[in-house]
Amino acid sequence: MGLRVLAVDDETDFIETLVKRFTYRQIPVTAASNGPDALALLDREPFDVVILDMRMPGMDGLTVLQEIKKRHPLVEVIILTGHASVEAGMQGMSLGAYDYVLKPVDFGELLEKAQKAYERKKLHESRDTS
Amino acid sequence: MSARNSMNPAILPEDHSPPLWPHTLLAPLMAGAAVLSALAAPPLVGVVLALFAGAVCIGSALVLARRVRRGERKLHDLDLRLLQSQKLAAIGELSSGIAHEINNPLAIITQEIDLARELFGPNGCPGEGDLADIRDSLDQVGKQVARCRQITHKLLNFARKMEPVIQEESLERVIEDMALLVEREALGRGVAIVRDYDHSLPQVRTDVPLLRQVILNLLTNALQATPQGGSITLGTGRRDGQAIIEVRDTGCGIPPQNMAKIFDPFFTTKEPGKGTGLGLSVSHGIVARLGGSLTAQSTPGQGATFTVALPL
Amino acid sequence: MADPIRVLIVDDEERFRDTLGKLLGRHGFTVRTAGGGNEALALLADAPCDVIVLDVKMPGLSGQEALPLLRAACPEAEVLVLTGHASVDIASAMITGGAADYLLKPCPTDELEGAIRAVYDRRQATKPR
Repeated sequence: MGLRVLAVDDETDFIETLVKRFTYRQIPVTAASNGPDALALLDREPFDVVILDMRMPGMDGLTVLQEIKKRHPLVEVIILTGHASVEAGMQGMSLGAYDYVLKPVDFGELLEKAQKAYERKKLHESRDTS
Repeated sequence: MSARNSMNPAILPEDHSPPLWPHTLLAPLMAGAAVLSALAAPPLVGVVLALFAGAVCIGSALVLARRVRRGERKLHDLDLRLLQSQKLAAIGELSSGIAHEINNPLAIITQEIDLARELFGPNGCPGEGDLADIRDSLDQVGKQVARCRQITHKLLNFARKMEPVIQEESLERVIEDMALLVEREALGRGVAIVRDYDHSLPQVRTDVPLLRQVILNLLTNALQATPQGGSITLGTGRRDGQAIIEVRDTGCGIPPQNMAKIFDPFFTTKEPGKGTGLGLSVSHGIVARLGGSLTAQSTPGQGATFTVALPL
Repeated sequence: MADPIRVLIVDDEERFRDTLGKLLGRHGFTVRTAGGGNEALALLADAPCDVIVLDVKMPGLSGQEALPLLRAACPEAEVLVLTGHASVDIASAMITGGAADYLLKPCPTDELEGAIRAVYDRRQATKPR
């Protein structure tokens, strides 16, 4: 079982491109357009890595991150920050995000970070079960 | 009071065992005498004397060994007690810090509630102007609760003993990523970030997100300390078989009297509510858990340097 | 009617001293506020006051350090220590140093008000005529 990604962003164009590119690499990916949907999906299905935009209307990225870490501590989160959300990015890092990627996103960089995050989750799980 | 006394090694009960000199002097004397008389006396007497001297030697060696072991055990007990008393002192300091940090927002909340109650008036029908004040008070209560929550959450993070998950990663990359994040804000404030990386560093094996947190904390601290036109130098290197990360700023520096306290939980020189005073102590704890050390040097007026040393 | 009691609040928490000032003002006190020891000394140089409400842990000049200076600057004022600091030792040391009383934060406003009136009345009673 390989890496399973949940991508959370309110920008539909961006999320569509992201889904396409992950699918092209044969990495299963699910999209959510807001925080509550993402949290509901996480409760229902197993994911390894969440790619999470910091700036979303309604529930903001930091709140979603805290909820994810509370309910699914082993799920790794990579946050997406833009020019206007650097502060949120820094807070996100100290709240337990695995890493961040600046928007506009370099897909190669995101993929590499997602894989590193997945590796960490596997290491974590193997130790917890042993 | 008695508990405090028992921590003090000077007031421990005296050692009542007899002095050591009869054994230490007598045994070699006997052995020497035995050898001498074995040369002069008939063989049988010599053998008996030698046996006797040997027995005395063994006996005194046993006594010595027992003494040494007892001393070691006592030392170990003392170490434990010292550790315990240091722990107690740390807990005392920590709880005093927590009490103070939480009490201040609570004091504001208490006051805002008193004011809002009063503004509501006896018939519960506040005037137009008072309503705005009441709303302001409620907002303030919300803000202060958020402040308390931030403190308790950080404390919980502080208390959480998550074992590090070790991954291999390029140190320069981890640092550069955090530098990019902070640089945007730094440029806005007229502070430059200077890189001084040792490109020959091999990959490090460490808990990467924890290390990111430490570097980000050091960078944001440096940024807050650096005035406009100043710079932050971010360097990596190798020293004594360790990977070294240095964050150097050109800010106001750390006064000598604060140097011993900067890693204490809740120590802060920021305005009330602006910092929890936990950043550096959390970072210090993280680096220690990663098997490294976090240290600071500063010449007041000439900035400060924080150094992270990690095992390679 | 008696003159209003003149209170000087010294606390580094801006919101705290402002709201406390507002409340005490509504209850008939004349209130000035200072964010630290030095600011308080400057205010006392302008005009004296009756009761100083003094925080302990403040950046710069701490309450403990400010106490003798404030008393020298305004000998007729009574000092009421109001602290969120867990160290009661410091508060008692400040009583020895001439403060009239101390209260622990958080403290309901009416309790604080009662304490201000109490130290003020005590001073009025002992004041040489």
